[in-house]
Amino acid sequence: MGSSDAEKQASGCPVAGHGISLDTVSLADPKILARPNAFYQAMRSQDPVHYDPQLKMYLVSRYDDIVTVLRDPLTYSDKHGYAAQYASGYFEEFKQILERDGGGFFTDAIKDDPPAHTRVRRLLDKAFTAHRVATLEPAITRVIVGFIEKLADKAAKGEVVDGVKEFAIPLTISIICEQMGIGQFNADKIQRWSGAVTAQIGRMQNREQMLENAAQICELQNFIIAKMKEREAQPSEDMLSDLVHATLEDGSKLSFAEAVSLVRAMIIAGNDTTATAIGNLLYTLATQPEVAQTLRDSVDDDRLLNRFVEELLRIAPPVRGLAKMTTREVELGGQKLPKDAHLLVLYASGNDDEQHFECPRNFDLNRGNLGRHVAFGVGVHRCVGASLARMEIKVAAREFVRRIGEIKLAIPVEELPYLQSVATHTIERLPLILSRRA
Amino acid sequence: MAALKVTFVQQDGVEKTIEGLEPGQSLMEVGRNNGVDGILGDCGGSCACATCHVYIEPEWQAAVGAPDEVETATLDMAGDVLKPNSRLCCQIALRPELDGLRMRVAPGM
Repeated sequence: MGSSDAEKQASGCPVAGHGISLDTVSLADPKILARPNAFYQAMRSQDPVHYDPQLKMYLVSRYDDIVTVLRDPLTYSDKHGYAAQYASGYFEEFKQILERDGGGFFTDAIKDDPPAHTRVRRLLDKAFTAHRVATLEPAITRVIVGFIEKLADKAAKGEVVDGVKEFAIPLTISIICEQMGIGQFNADKIQRWSGAVTAQIGRMQNREQMLENAAQICELQNFIIAKMKEREAQPSEDMLSDLVHATLEDGSKLSFAEAVSLVRAMIIAGNDTTATAIGNLLYTLATQPEVAQTLRDSVDDDRLLNRFVEELLRIAPPVRGLAKMTTREVELGGQKLPKDAHLLVLYASGNDDEQHFECPRNFDLNRGNLGRHVAFGVGVHRCVGASLARMEIKVAAREFVRRIGEIKLAIPVEELPYLQSVATHTIERLPLILSRRA
Repeated sequence: MAALKVTFVQQDGVEKTIEGLEPGQSLMEVGRNNGVDGILGDCGGSCACATCHVYIEPEWQAAVGAPDEVETATLDMAGDVLKPNSRLCCQIALRPELDGLRMRVAPGM
């Protein structure tokens, strides 16, 4: 969605496009999923809480409505929205497979509603504080530099490299596994497991894919459960052990099922969305030379780099939309919603809302309200790993431009494959031509 | 232990004075647990979200102290409402010398 090819609107801002008729398209359309901003813009201006008949969901597109939803977790239930989205259409069969082959079906403790959610959330709040993450910067830098050096070596031999499969994904897996205390891991497997878990909220899987994904999740859970049993027998200094032995604020212990669900959530959420963000970073650098130049100009100034990361998260948020469900009849953005209405909260559209972000398609790290984007969510479910994600993106951006000169797509932009998912906006493969910086 | 008191002045001008507090807890927790409008503490005190932003009354600034580097970086994201006396109150632990502290809640989302 480069500004170079965007049309201009009357205000002089680049816009994502014109001529979208909401009656004839769905967010589920692969073309819309890949390039959604014109669709978001059409919803915001024509029908801000738009019912998508193909998804059978109300799409919440305006910033203010998104914040209203996220600030009222009892009216807009995360638990019920998630349950209705999870393994959509195949839930019972999916659940039976996990119970039979995967050690059990473990409800996601992080997707509960208050007050049950609050009990678990307080435990995780302290896992990745900004201060703790700051102490991890040298170790994160070492890991990331290692991956970039490998890319630069291949580029020097004239090889095309994959910015997603050879960089974004393995680096985020490597960092979260180190944090969890998983010393030996197979990054390819973890990547497959992550895809299988996130597909459950992506809304786009067919039955065959569900069966394959369920088998992957069984393998993931059996892996996690074995590691947890090791820590039960012998505690160690890592997050896995902390979760197995955790005592909560109210003095209670996590149940085994809760602990499995939290370890699973940390591993998956800890790599998948950050990898998506880093893929989006490289895509942006490869397609918007002016943004790449902004980054080069910011690279030795930590404040500017932080602002660069924040604006990247605003303009290209990895998580596009997550589900909620109304627990009562309510009016939202002029739309009357019945009880049990299934909503998709479009964070990506909120970040693009011209009522809050002037010229939203412009990459501008001098925005006064830079931090108001909703890429990490808002309210009780706000991303618990935000500081870690920011740090990984910042170090990746900094070390990448320090070592890489030229960055170009190796295939036409129209051929980039995007994950079919309403939950994230993920480039699956990003072939790049790079040169080592002189 | 001394029972302490702090005052939050909300955006709507309402003053909320909370008394009988024990040292140790953060001012974000004090505000959130006592229903101060605008003290949300989304990130639970991990200095990651700037939803507990306050302006320390000038006479209290010296006692409260300045933000560290990490807090300064998080505050920078709220540039449109940032002031020299801005603090994220999740990063301020209540202690006896802050007895009587007054702060204004910054405009929120």
